[in-house]
Amino acid sequence: MAASEKEQNSMDYRKLVEMINVARWEMVSDKLVDLILTSKNDEKMPNQLANTILHSWQHGVLKNESGLAALLEAALLLEPEKTINTLNELEMENVAEQIKTALAS
Amino acid sequence: MVKFGIEFVPRQPYWKTTYYVIQAEIGGFSNLWITDHFNDRNVYVTLTAAALYTNKITFGSGVTNPYMVNPVFTAQAIATLNELAPGRVVLGIGAGDKTTLESVGVEMQKPLKAVQEAVEIFRKITVGDSVAYSGEVFKTAGAKFLFKPRGTIPVYVGAQGPKMLEFAGKVGDGVLINASHPKDVEYAVSCVKEGVSAAGKKLSEIDVAAYTSFSVHEDIKKANKAAVPAVSFIVAGSPPQVLERHRIDVKKAEEIKESLKVNDWGRAFNEVTPEMISAFTVCGTPDMCIERIAELLKSGISQFVVGSPIGANVREAINLISEKIIPHFKT
Repeated sequence: MAASEKEQNSMDYRKLVEMINVARWEMVSDKLVDLILTSKNDEKMPNQLANTILHSWQHGVLKNESGLAALLEAALLLEPEKTINTLNELEMENVAEQIKTALAS
Repeated sequence: MVKFGIEFVPRQPYWKTTYYVIQAEIGGFSNLWITDHFNDRNVYVTLTAAALYTNKITFGSGVTNPYMVNPVFTAQAIATLNELAPGRVVLGIGAGDKTTLESVGVEMQKPLKAVQEAVEIFRKITVGDSVAYSGEVFKTAGAKFLFKPRGTIPVYVGAQGPKMLEFAGKVGDGVLINASHPKDVEYAVSCVKEGVSAAGKKLSEIDVAAYTSFSVHEDIKKANKAAVPAVSFIVAGSPPQVLERHRIDVKKAEEIKESLKVNDWGRAFNEVTPEMISAFTVCGTPDMCIERIAELLKSGISQFVVGSPIGANVREAINLISEKIIPHFKT
């Protein structure tokens, strides 16, 4: 496993989601889904995580805390820079900073 | 009321296709069709994922052929799927694509006969019968499943030519008409009607689907751009009489074919004209697509299939169809 993947795995995605205003979860979920579906880095998606996302989507919980945490994890694995940029564009600099710090440590 | 179906080509990883499948089910599509080409991901594995992550959508191969895989194996796969999602599975079968078959050294022998025999074998073995069959193309000597299949599975026959269309009407529980233009669909339905009448049935007793090449976007230029690659292949594979019906220059079509043969995609795509897009796709803004679908419905189809490419961005396109197009036909 690459070092950056290890760092990412140690990231607490639920805590990151909690930093986002609940009213914006749906919109963030939508943006992250776009990033994941349009990514060319398909091979970086772990099957277990893909299945979790599909299960959440099927059961309508992709915009809930657990669904959003899975999407955030996938987006950071597939498109780390774009994900951080998206969070900054959405004025969620605190979340973006937290991720950058975790990735840099 | 018309049903909406959607086709996916499983070229992307299973999780992307499955995401779109779930989206389609949520968005109001009632039928899912997965293409069967050896050079894409496997149709039955893709359908298995679809079965596991959906609850109500009806799904099937769109379409398989009798040549690449023996019909008893096709029946085995479909019958097993019918255990995963009882009552939601159908078989879509047609003659296949000559060029693709030749690329793996398989000869397309007696296509009409091959499909007919494959359907007969499929129907017998999937109800648990022992099949001793001696056809012109297939022979079985008492083939029988060692498990109990779960009920009768509808068979849809994919067709384009008049004889296959007539046959599809005669024996199919459904017909997948490979066309997008009202003129072509109207002609196809008339052929299907002949088969239906010959079998003593009514057209309303079978599901007649227009299996279209489709591209929707709020910006017509983007819809057209997404449609171009698919159109180039359709034009290259269309017989002269079909091209002439749409007043498309046969010479130009030949040029596209030659460019595709040598993988000169840029040249092939540049040769695609707006007339070609109009002839071979349902393409444009949601309102334009609604208008075209309404025209197609006049021919008597009962299912409209949104086929590849769907749109420049598949997720956005499915949303547009679900939010703007399907509701228009449900009111």
